[in-house]
Amino acid sequence: MPEVYPPAHHVLRDLRLAFAAGADGRSRRVWLPVTPEVRTDGGRGPVRMGAIAVLVDVLGGGLAATAAAPDWIATADLTVHLGDLRTPGAHVEARGRVRRKGRTTVVMEVDLLAADETPLGLATMTFAVLPRRDANPVMPPAAADDTVTTMALAESGLAESLTAAAGIRVVDAATGRSEVAVTDWVRNSMGALQGGIVATLAECATEAAARHRTGAPLVVTDLHVTYLGFGRVGPVRTEVTTAGDGDRVVAEVSVRDHGADERLMARVSAVATRVGES
Amino acid sequence: MTGPGPDAARSVTDFVRAGLTEVEPAGSGRLVGRAPVAPHLRSAGGGMRTGALLTAVDFAGGFAGGLAALPEGWVVTTSLHARLLDVVHTGPLRLEAEVARAGRTSVVTPVTVHDEGAADAVVARAIVTSAVLVPAGGPPRWDRPARIEPAPAPDGLPDLDTWLGARRGPDGTTEIALEDRLRNPWGILHGGVVAMLVDTATERTTGGITTDVVLHYLAPNRTGPVRAAVRPVAVRSDGTVCRTEVSDTAADRVTAIAVTTSAPSR
Repeated sequence: MPEVYPPAHHVLRDLRLAFAAGADGRSRRVWLPVTPEVRTDGGRGPVRMGAIAVLVDVLGGGLAATAAAPDWIATADLTVHLGDLRTPGAHVEARGRVRRKGRTTVVMEVDLLAADETPLGLATMTFAVLPRRDANPVMPPAAADDTVTTMALAESGLAESLTAAAGIRVVDAATGRSEVAVTDWVRNSMGALQGGIVATLAECATEAAARHRTGAPLVVTDLHVTYLGFGRVGPVRTEVTTAGDGDRVVAEVSVRDHGADERLMARVSAVATRVGES
Repeated sequence: MTGPGPDAARSVTDFVRAGLTEVEPAGSGRLVGRAPVAPHLRSAGGGMRTGALLTAVDFAGGFAGGLAALPEGWVVTTSLHARLLDVVHTGPLRLEAEVARAGRTSVVTPVTVHDEGAADAVVARAIVTSAVLVPAGGPPRWDRPARIEPAPAPDGLPDLDTWLGARRGPDGTTEIALEDRLRNPWGILHGGVVAMLVDTATERTTGGITTDVVLHYLAPNRTGPVRAAVRPVAVRSDGTVCRTEVSDTAADRVTAIAVTTSAPSR
């Protein structure tokens, strides 16, 4: 585990995300540059659900940590519903705000917008509030203005697709069995597989199984992720069951840490649909 | 008996005709529920209204979570995620709830809904997340394994919208009065009724059938009228994605947010 988080070579840097915190400490905006590497189908498809999940997760995590300070937080669930992400423009913007800050939970709502501010979808997140430990990062106070910052370094960027860079591998398309190693590139600040990458793994598993089932170029448009435990060891693997036809496939995905006695890390419900055919 | 009794808030669960039985041994974290697809709960498409189905899911998942929180506490539902795989049901429906994680502050309970009249097909999957609390007066006590049977069905139950008292509010919203029969054991609007309101408001806005719901409960509805405002966000091949905001108008407070997908009616 590197001493500095995130390390120089990390998904949160290589996606070249840009951040602006609201002065009230309860809202935040994050931008994801749209490049071929974050799209499906070799850069020709819509923006990948997994990239959006990372965007939402990093927005929500930062905002929830600020809201919960001095305590710390862990992601309990993440949901994303997408419209048509084939032509969002130069970036996708996530605009999040805290909807509830309680003693034990923080609830977040996120609007997803195209570069021209057309609505693209919605996301929600719930965080469990945990007692602070020494290893938890200290969140800086909310900026007093809309200053845009980034974790990207000069050399940051994706040289291959997000899924390839993460090391996600579809082992068996028929069953959706997929896996990823827990490397420094995809670890979160707690040393476990980053929540957005868990979602990306589930997305890849669903996409493979749905396309195999139907023969249609379906993409994942809905994701409900319930996080049940950290994946610290790896490889992290999926089990998928699917139902549906050529227009809509519903998948249930179990995500397990194979190296930690197959510990169940997350349950995911996903929908894959035809995009651009309403 | 301490705290709200097992018969509290029965009018809501009696309306959806659901019964629950804890799977032995007590403490297994599993329970099985059954609900007929009663005529007053059927949609025009032939299945159980999504709002009624969500109420049954909330009932099963919440009760399983509550039993897992005993003896120290009980639970309130904080979020409900549900996905329908089929909107046409023969019935009866069987709900299988099994606690996946029971922590100090929260309980996560997946619920799977089978249609016993359609070769036991899975027609919905859901996750109910609950917060553990210690109610004033202490948590309820139950004989274990716990069992809840619906009261004998009266003749002529009204359809869901009539029973709910759903009416048009300002600016295309849908609202209901917070009548006592709609309250839960703690005196606030029953979480299942909030789900019914979200479903009804979504259907009125889109004309479709709600097939996917993410519902976050943010605050209690104490006074009413309780209002749901629906905003369509995206139209897809499988339906319209909507955002719904529920508010307790007397308190001028947002009490729940939801994301729904509404499929075109068949």
